[in-house]
Amino acid sequence: MFKGCKSALMASAIGVSFLMTLPSAMAKEAIFALPAPEVGVPAYNPITGVNTNSANGLIYDKLIERAVDQTYHGHLAESWEEAPDGMSWTFHLRKGVKFHNGDAFNAQTIKDWIPLYKGTESEYMVASIASVEVVDDYTVKFVMKTPDPNLLYNFSSSFLSVVDPKVFKELGADYGVTEAVGTGPYKLESFTVGQETVLTRNDDYTWGTDLSANRGPAKIDKLTFREIPEDSTAFLELKTGGVDMLLSVSTDYLPEIKAQADLGLISRPGTDLSYFVMNVTKEPFTDIRVREAAAKAINQAEILSSIYGGVGSTADTFLISSLPESKVKPEYKIAYDPEKAGKLLDEAGWVKGADGIRVKDGKPLAIALWTQSDSAFRRLTEVVQAELKAVGFDATITTFDSSMIRDEYKKDVHQAAVRSYEWDNADIIDWFFGGDRLGYPNISMFNDPKAEALRAKAMTGSKNSEERTANFLAYHEYVLSQFPFSPIYQPLDLSAYNKTKLVLPDEKAVPYFSSLILDLDTKE
Amino acid sequence: MIDRSLSVLKVALGSFKGRVAAAWLLVVIVAAVFAPLLTPYAYDLQTLSQAFQPPSASHWLGTDEFGRDLMTRLMYGARTSLSVSVVAIGLSVSLGLVFGAIAGYFGGRVDRAITVVVDLTWSFPEILLALILVAIIGPGVTGTLLAIGVAYLAQFTRLARGQIMSLRSETFVEAARSLGASDSFILAHHLIPNTLAPVLVTAMLATGDAIILEATLGFFGLGAQPPTPSWGGMMSSGTAQLFRAPGIILFPGLAVALTVIAINIFGDALVAAMDVRSRERKA
Repeated sequence: MFKGCKSALMASAIGVSFLMTLPSAMAKEAIFALPAPEVGVPAYNPITGVNTNSANGLIYDKLIERAVDQTYHGHLAESWEEAPDGMSWTFHLRKGVKFHNGDAFNAQTIKDWIPLYKGTESEYMVASIASVEVVDDYTVKFVMKTPDPNLLYNFSSSFLSVVDPKVFKELGADYGVTEAVGTGPYKLESFTVGQETVLTRNDDYTWGTDLSANRGPAKIDKLTFREIPEDSTAFLELKTGGVDMLLSVSTDYLPEIKAQADLGLISRPGTDLSYFVMNVTKEPFTDIRVREAAAKAINQAEILSSIYGGVGSTADTFLISSLPESKVKPEYKIAYDPEKAGKLLDEAGWVKGADGIRVKDGKPLAIALWTQSDSAFRRLTEVVQAELKAVGFDATITTFDSSMIRDEYKKDVHQAAVRSYEWDNADIIDWFFGGDRLGYPNISMFNDPKAEALRAKAMTGSKNSEERTANFLAYHEYVLSQFPFSPIYQPLDLSAYNKTKLVLPDEKAVPYFSSLILDLDTKE
Repeated sequence: MIDRSLSVLKVALGSFKGRVAAAWLLVVIVAAVFAPLLTPYAYDLQTLSQAFQPPSASHWLGTDEFGRDLMTRLMYGARTSLSVSVVAIGLSVSLGLVFGAIAGYFGGRVDRAITVVVDLTWSFPEILLALILVAIIGPGVTGTLLAIGVAYLAQFTRLARGQIMSLRSETFVEAARSLGASDSFILAHHLIPNTLAPVLVTAMLATGDAIILEATLGFFGLGAQPPTPSWGGMMSSGTAQLFRAPGIILFPGLAVALTVIAINIFGDALVAAMDVRSRERKA
């Protein structure tokens, strides 16, 4: 009797526990590793933040999406018109869109949202808008202070992701840390800075763009984004099943990925550019001849072939080569020229000593070269160090944790650094060389009156795209002529994924991650 | 004193394990000291076209991702790892003896003050304490050296304090005091010399731990900065090449492991030799 009861109880317990685990076993989940430059983002706050990560694009939607081929596609805005004189834009908004908390998205949302940028680092993106007028519930008109040919690009930027203005005002400084409310295909479930972010599917989502076959909801129930700053660790996690997709993968692992049948590779045109930057207010870089010499000591072609296996391309300006503003006159392009570098240093009074290091007035040509602690940066920096040494610089490398280095730049004690950025608009020159952003992001501390005048013209003085391109070309060429930096390398945008876990719609034409996510599925 | 040390060394080398360990340590020390004479390559000379060369007659262990000779960097890395570890432990021993002797001899408030500070630092794992200190001092050889030195200070302070406390009421100390010897004379001539043997054996064993700590800090990019090689730094840069050229991470890893094992075996042999000597004396 007792034995029978015991068996029945055990069977019931096993049955109940099986039923309890069933829903979670059936839930589709995927784990992603964020790219190293996206590690350490302190909040999901596109309004006040100076960095965003890939998960940001799933919590929030934008008015406009930009495709890999740089064409614009309507998202929260279905269509738009610009007035012939460029002094107003009318946007027709998508109907039926709701925020994660149930609040409706409409023209009033846009009217309340735009003023939130006042006083933030991203204010420049909406600075040309004089006022926002609600025409009807789903039509909004931007009255412009000046024509802004970059407005569509700005509305497709992750920093102009549409947040719920009501929640933003309620939460204040906690917004994006404790709660983040957008209209995107995923909701923020949990977030630990520097560790991981967990998103759950927005089941109401039906307003995806024409960049994905599936307009929503997404196919995967739960996404985890892990922050793994070290490339090698992230790759081992992919190999051992700790993550299902690396949103960025180093070229070091391409042979291994190609050799593994269960790993897939996604390749898109890159929007990154790595560069060597000098602090123009610190000796010896106060002398433009020394800056030019250092800029011309970097052997871009050798770095491309030896460090990156020939994958990607060399950089010779501050902008990625797909941008029209990168097409500067040949004399402004910065390229490897060790002989010229040597001559310039001789002219500047730096004489080569017996050990190869140059000396002037008894002082060696010594500089501190800063970089981030992850191996990809350290490796590139070691090559830059050796190339600077070849022309007579004694560069000492100092490494900082990726999440700490920005604060260190703000102290203005640095001399030079190896860095990279990810951006696909010419206004990145304004971001990194603007005189009102000294320390960080303007690490070069470049603050030149002529550059500032050209910058103002480029940023706000253009009536149309052609004029904007011409103005940015002039600004870009002037910055290049002052040698505050040396361009190095433009990588491809490479991602790797586990084929046994994830199913991609079409490997050959993969959209950006925020669009890809709607078609991405897990294997049963 | 020298005779005693030599006899302990002789006993320690009497075992096969002791001899093998001592031989490996000798090889590492010779490689570190005479590296410029033993290799034709500069440790920092990059030849990118020669990157990832397999072991060959010209490059015994192959080349790294910058085309630098791995064997050369391993030898120069031994310089960094050994010198940082030995100097750091030397710093810990010196300061530990001073603080421990003061605390153990004078007792009272001085003892309590030193013990509180020592216990506080001992409550942190060495790696955590070292990471905090390097973050404050700054990365590099000096930062690493000071961080390791401070991380092990508590261990030697406590050891010296305990030894001094057990010796301070010994007859020979009482005799010296009754003859009018000052406190500093008693400490310098009677107490500290008698604590040296156990402290030095502990120091040897701690040097093995310090090599691992130095390698760990180097692995995190906080140790010797490039292009100066250190075993930890070499392993760190080798992680990115794990599949392409596993030797870059394997060889410095083996060097760390074998050296630490050798130090521990030889240290154990020294401890055993000292025990044997004391047993013989009692008999």
